[in-house]
Amino acid sequence: MQKNMPTALQTFERHLSVSNSCYLYQMQRLILVFFLLILLQSCKNGVDFEETEPAFKTGDSLIWASKNYSSTHWRTERGNTKQAIFWIRFNPVIHKIENPKEHIGLGVYAFGAFEVYWDGVKIGANGQPGLTTKSEIPGTHNSIFLIPDSLSKPGKHVLALRATQQYKSDEQRAAGYKIDHYDQLLEMPLIMTSFMNLMAGAFLVVSLYYFFLFANSNRRDYTTLIFGVTCFLFFALLIAEYIKFYVAIPYTHFYLRLEIIGFLTILVSILVPLYFSIQFNFRKKLWLISGLVLVLAGIYIYNFRSYDLSAKLFSLSMWFAAVVVVVNAIVKKEKGSVLVFIGLLISMALNYFLVYDFGIFICFTIIVLCMLYLHAIKAKEIEKAHQSSMLLSSRLKLELLKKNIQPHFIKNTLTSLIDWVEESPKDGVVFIEALAAEFDVMNEIAEATLIPIAKEIELCKAHLAVMHFRKEVTYQWTEKNIDPLATIPPAIIHTLVENGITHSLALNDGSIGFILSFTHDQHFKTYTLLVNAKNRLKKQQAKQSTGFKYIIARLTESYGNNWDFESAAVPDGWCSIIKIKNE
Amino acid sequence: MRILIIEDESRIATRIERMAMLFFGNKLSAIHRCDALADGLLYLEHHQVDLLLLDLNLNGEDGFDVLENFVSRSFHTIIISAYTHLAIKAFEYGVLDFVPKPFDEQRINQAFLRMATVQNTATTAMSYLSVKKGGSMLLIDIKELCYVKGAGIYTELHLLNGKYELHDKSLEKLQQLLPISFQRIHKSYLVATPCIEKIMVNSGSKYTLLLKTGEVLPIGRSRYKELKSKLI
Repeated sequence: MQKNMPTALQTFERHLSVSNSCYLYQMQRLILVFFLLILLQSCKNGVDFEETEPAFKTGDSLIWASKNYSSTHWRTERGNTKQAIFWIRFNPVIHKIENPKEHIGLGVYAFGAFEVYWDGVKIGANGQPGLTTKSEIPGTHNSIFLIPDSLSKPGKHVLALRATQQYKSDEQRAAGYKIDHYDQLLEMPLIMTSFMNLMAGAFLVVSLYYFFLFANSNRRDYTTLIFGVTCFLFFALLIAEYIKFYVAIPYTHFYLRLEIIGFLTILVSILVPLYFSIQFNFRKKLWLISGLVLVLAGIYIYNFRSYDLSAKLFSLSMWFAAVVVVVNAIVKKEKGSVLVFIGLLISMALNYFLVYDFGIFICFTIIVLCMLYLHAIKAKEIEKAHQSSMLLSSRLKLELLKKNIQPHFIKNTLTSLIDWVEESPKDGVVFIEALAAEFDVMNEIAEATLIPIAKEIELCKAHLAVMHFRKEVTYQWTEKNIDPLATIPPAIIHTLVENGITHSLALNDGSIGFILSFTHDQHFKTYTLLVNAKNRLKKQQAKQSTGFKYIIARLTESYGNNWDFESAAVPDGWCSIIKIKNE
Repeated sequence: MRILIIEDESRIATRIERMAMLFFGNKLSAIHRCDALADGLLYLEHHQVDLLLLDLNLNGEDGFDVLENFVSRSFHTIIISAYTHLAIKAFEYGVLDFVPKPFDEQRINQAFLRMATVQNTATTAMSYLSVKKGGSMLLIDIKELCYVKGAGIYTELHLLNGKYELHDKSLEKLQQLLPISFQRIHKSYLVATPCIEKIMVNSGSKYTLLLKTGEVLPIGRSRYKELKSKLI
């Protein structure tokens, strides 16, 4: 099981990076389409007309629809019309029609329910004006009408709305209109919506992907979750913004959508800087995010109901918070920070040159792309780190296996063995058995990263038995207070024993003692190995470090930084102490 | 015959000692064992030896570092090591033989036998001569060597550039190590064949050898025939 785990993880990580680049490509294409759309949108209107200010009058008379009636004495403000019927009149002038053969249409933006009169002719209605209290059927904020061909010639015209605004009657939503080719009026929003929904779909898929990734990952990487949520919110934001084109929202609920958009914008504005601050290891995350939340709340309260303005200010605050984090990251030379900074600058530049509706989405899209890019390089880093740790592990495994086949060990052992066999065959057999025992234990532990201390001791004893035959020194092994169930990386005590044999001279009685003791307190598990012998005078201290490197690498592999290793001469010989922090 | 064994594996040292005693018999006048390089060097300060039997990896120390020192001395060195990949390099530095571990009696006797040969016939011969000079070691490429002149217990290495260096090994010992292209022309001279210009016959049937450097060396009466046959 343990053996298969890393492979599965690796596959998963690889999949992650592949998918990332795939999404990135998809996104890039979407951005391209997006820009085309803006070009399309900025095309000249098909009808050149002069927009005029509205005039209001409470009361009801069909004469007010007529082209000959003059409304110059009417109010310029609607006032609170309460339940009453009122009229709105405009005096549009059509200067030029690009394609006179096409039908001309009228788009009206206003609150309430109204009938629409063009040059005295009723051309449609949006909802139904109520004649009695609360009897009106509310219309939508945007409505489109076909102007009869005979009345759509260039020149002066009259647009009159016979309206009621019984709900939110004190709400002074500006009324306006637009004249264009009828097809254009109908198609434009649809085209735009289709592109926007396409983009929203991409963000939805990305968000779902990252949700699954988060749910199925062993590491709870919260940047993945934040990224997924940000993408989802962005998807919701796009849907909320463009839902107006295909769901008829009565003017009574017009502000609900804007409230939702504002709310989503606030959330995104918090999450994006949070994401960057985590990815770039920003120190004062809490301060930054709390400050940002306060600013956003302030904007919301101060500019209550100024939806467009607050949304603009929200995204501006987000931008500044993100810039603070990214500039800090650039100073710290974090990977990817420069590119994200460039992304932020581009998004600001575009936001400045484009109208809000587009600007904010382009701004967000670029920022989300920056996040995606950052996520991809972080994933790559994680994969790299993982691979190098795997590489280290297999290198250590190899080093462990090599211990018993490296020429110095095996050739010297075999030479001694030949001598024992030739001179004293019975002892030779004991020697062979000792060697076999050491090989057995070595083979058993070769694949493991942690082994029971009892196994390690078995290995050390087997090694000492072999070395006894080679060096003809009596090696004495003593254990104190050993917990046989405790685990330890393989062959690290063994390495210390090897060093002890190599760098020590036997005591006068021809023996070298190895005393392994264990203590366990609330902070550390401590292994102490004392080599009781005379130390050789060493000229080349550095040579010893090959063994130490192995010990250090093994301790790091299993315990990260939670260990300590000391090795030094003591009056009794040589003492090595391995301390492992309790988990 | 005086032998020094430097080997940190007690069992192997005993084995070498036993085999040396068996091979040399009563010709062996002294045999000593050290288990560390420092001990060995100390022993050499106070004792003359004829043969050093050396392990290359001693207590984690690299014996190769001191090999240059050993080969510059008057005695022969035989390496007995587990590191077979170092064999060629050891030969180049001028060891008499390299015995890979594990070894049997036959192999070590073969190495001992080389002590008695006159000329090196092995395919891998020394390519450098290590010379002690002013407290440090100087490596002389064999290709730079024109002829060697015996001068008592040491030798003079005459180089192509006209200079000469002193070496602690006797002419006989150097002949055992140098490639077969070196010819003994006189009891005191060993010449690199490529350096020879021609043999000159002088009055009283005395033969001399003209070298490409312009120098003239005497040719031993008994060695003339062999030299002539080899040059033709």
